[in-house]
Amino acid sequence: MAMNQSELKYEEETNPNVNVALRYKSWMVFLIVAMVVGGAAIGYRLVEGLAVTNLTNFVPWGAWVAFYIFFVGLSAGAFLLSTLIFVFGMVQYEKVGRFALFTALICMVVALMFIALDLGRIERATNTLINWNVMSILSWEVRFYLIYMVLLATELWFAMRKDLNLLARSGNLFKNKLASFLTLGSNDISDIAIKKDHSWMKILGIIGIPIAIIGVHGGTGTLFAAVTAQPYWASPLFPIIFVVSALVSGTALLLAMYVIQRKARGLEVELGMIQGLAMLMIGFLAIDLTLEFYEFLVAGLNNKPEKMAILSVMFTGPYAWSFWGVQLFLGAVVPIYIVANKRLRNSVTALTVAAICIVIGIIGVRFNIVVPTQIIHQLKGMPQGYYAPNLVEWLSSLGVVAIGLFLYSIGAKLLPLEVNDEEVIEHE
Amino acid sequence: MSDRLLNQFTNVAKKALEASKYSTTLGMNMAEDARRLSRAEMNEEDFVRKYQGMVQKEFGKKMELAGIEETKDGPKWGMVIDLRKCVGCDTCTVSCKAENLTPPGISYNVVLVEEKGIFPNVSRTNTPRPCMQCDKPPCVTVCPVRATYKSGDGIVVQDNDRCIGCRYCMVACPYGARSFDFGDSYEGEMLGYGAMTAPDHGMDRGERKKGHSPIGTVRKCTFCFHRLQRGEEPACVETCVGDARYFGDLNDPNSVVSKMASEARAFRMKEEYGTEPRVYYLR
Repeated sequence: MAMNQSELKYEEETNPNVNVALRYKSWMVFLIVAMVVGGAAIGYRLVEGLAVTNLTNFVPWGAWVAFYIFFVGLSAGAFLLSTLIFVFGMVQYEKVGRFALFTALICMVVALMFIALDLGRIERATNTLINWNVMSILSWEVRFYLIYMVLLATELWFAMRKDLNLLARSGNLFKNKLASFLTLGSNDISDIAIKKDHSWMKILGIIGIPIAIIGVHGGTGTLFAAVTAQPYWASPLFPIIFVVSALVSGTALLLAMYVIQRKARGLEVELGMIQGLAMLMIGFLAIDLTLEFYEFLVAGLNNKPEKMAILSVMFTGPYAWSFWGVQLFLGAVVPIYIVANKRLRNSVTALTVAAICIVIGIIGVRFNIVVPTQIIHQLKGMPQGYYAPNLVEWLSSLGVVAIGLFLYSIGAKLLPLEVNDEEVIEHE
Repeated sequence: MSDRLLNQFTNVAKKALEASKYSTTLGMNMAEDARRLSRAEMNEEDFVRKYQGMVQKEFGKKMELAGIEETKDGPKWGMVIDLRKCVGCDTCTVSCKAENLTPPGISYNVVLVEEKGIFPNVSRTNTPRPCMQCDKPPCVTVCPVRATYKSGDGIVVQDNDRCIGCRYCMVACPYGARSFDFGDSYEGEMLGYGAMTAPDHGMDRGERKKGHSPIGTVRKCTFCFHRLQRGEEPACVETCVGDARYFGDLNDPNSVVSKMASEARAFRMKEEYGTEPRVYYLR
């Protein structure tokens, strides 16, 4: 620890060759347009109810539920990646640490917006807190989500506390005033106080691991696995696949977001760290694929008619393109090829493309979890259902994601999420 | 005349009570209420409730209600459907819709048709499916707000004023017996359709309006609870042309449904799920 912490200034490093401000402005304009369009769809849905969607009594859960579990997964994955840094001391990834926590928080907000949109009676959402059914996993999940979000915010605050203070002292702009407010009067940035912050982050991270794995995402998987009536979901492997695929998508999202942000601001991206993250991502993907392989293999060997019917819809039915094309080709084959290829492995752009492919692939995974199983009715003799999201559902989903990206972009602009190189060394 | 006699008796009783070591007022009051009880101006339950505490204090004995077993453990409704008698006419489905005024897309009762074999050796089974009113209902387990619960009479109740419309119960029901009310209406083809709703579980909601329960929540068969309250059978039972449906108290071992449910022909749908349905089928 070579330097005096209190003299360290928080500075934004920018490359003067690129017009960062213009890029940021046009990005924000794009998001605002998306939010207006999506907001109109959301408003239409709020006024007219769920009748404006393609949901039916045969397929009661659709795109919004799929997006909800997708974003819960992203959040859990991003948070677990942050624990690798703050709990298990993998300092090589420190640069993405705060981004991971902030991404986890925003993803959770987006997930809750999606599931709120899906409720027939949004105004009664608080009933889940008032009338607790201890047997209902969903009832537990609501509580876990809230606890988890408080934990994320607290840990992020500890992670940023020093830089918030430095930022508060370095100017008089809105950004500095906000930082000053966010310090909540905690102005001690002596070495001892910073050490304390780090140990708090470690403690919160350790508490957060079981909450994120068992509570938040494993719990979301259990929510599906607990349904005996849906043979495809009712598998003990399901919650584990949920957690592993969360790690896959969380790592991939973080990698992509980090690179895109740095590039947009005209900053250098360290290839070594990106390669490390990419390897981690592919490692998680390999475990995920293995688990899924056994899930399908055992189902095929068991040869239970109800489950076979659902698998045949997945593999050969109207959503086969989603399974073979999105989930397997885009989400697994392409990224594995990129990382395995010697030339592509050394290109940040190629690795980012791999990460984006994985994120899209996991969206496919979530859709394949939610939709095909409902196509086959629980009762023999009932007609087959069909579901594809309609324009209202797509546009409102776009709106919700745009709100999330908007919050993220504002946060990334105003909050000290970047970590200076000196601090990386100083941490351990 | 009788009153005068009684009053005379009262004075004697009062003296006798005063002589005893127990409370005179309690004795007199109880005697007076006992007269009301015999004139049916007061029921036994109220009488016991009124004096239980005081009697316990005075005599150290507990007052018990005689014959309370009947009212405490009322009927537990159940249904038996004879598949050999079912002709697959869907009258139950239609009468259910008419009785419960369910909107488009919602049918509390359906008839599943299964055809087996190749012509001319074909057999066809019609299986009517109301809500099974399971004794171990998966829909109740999953509900995050306890909006659906098992009531004492064996019926699985849906509280439309608490339901948040998450539809978890719908994916969890192995029988597909639950429907979401999207707010659709027959108003276009049937004038005045929205003017009234059927009373779900005895709750009359009046006009069917946007934003009012049960729109936006999950609905289900109630065994026509509003009809049971009037002492009538569910609509599907009453209208069945083949007389294939039987309804009654499964608690009573001598009822028709109990006897049929214990026959060798009886089975329950998807018994392996452990849901313990209260609807039995006869093969």
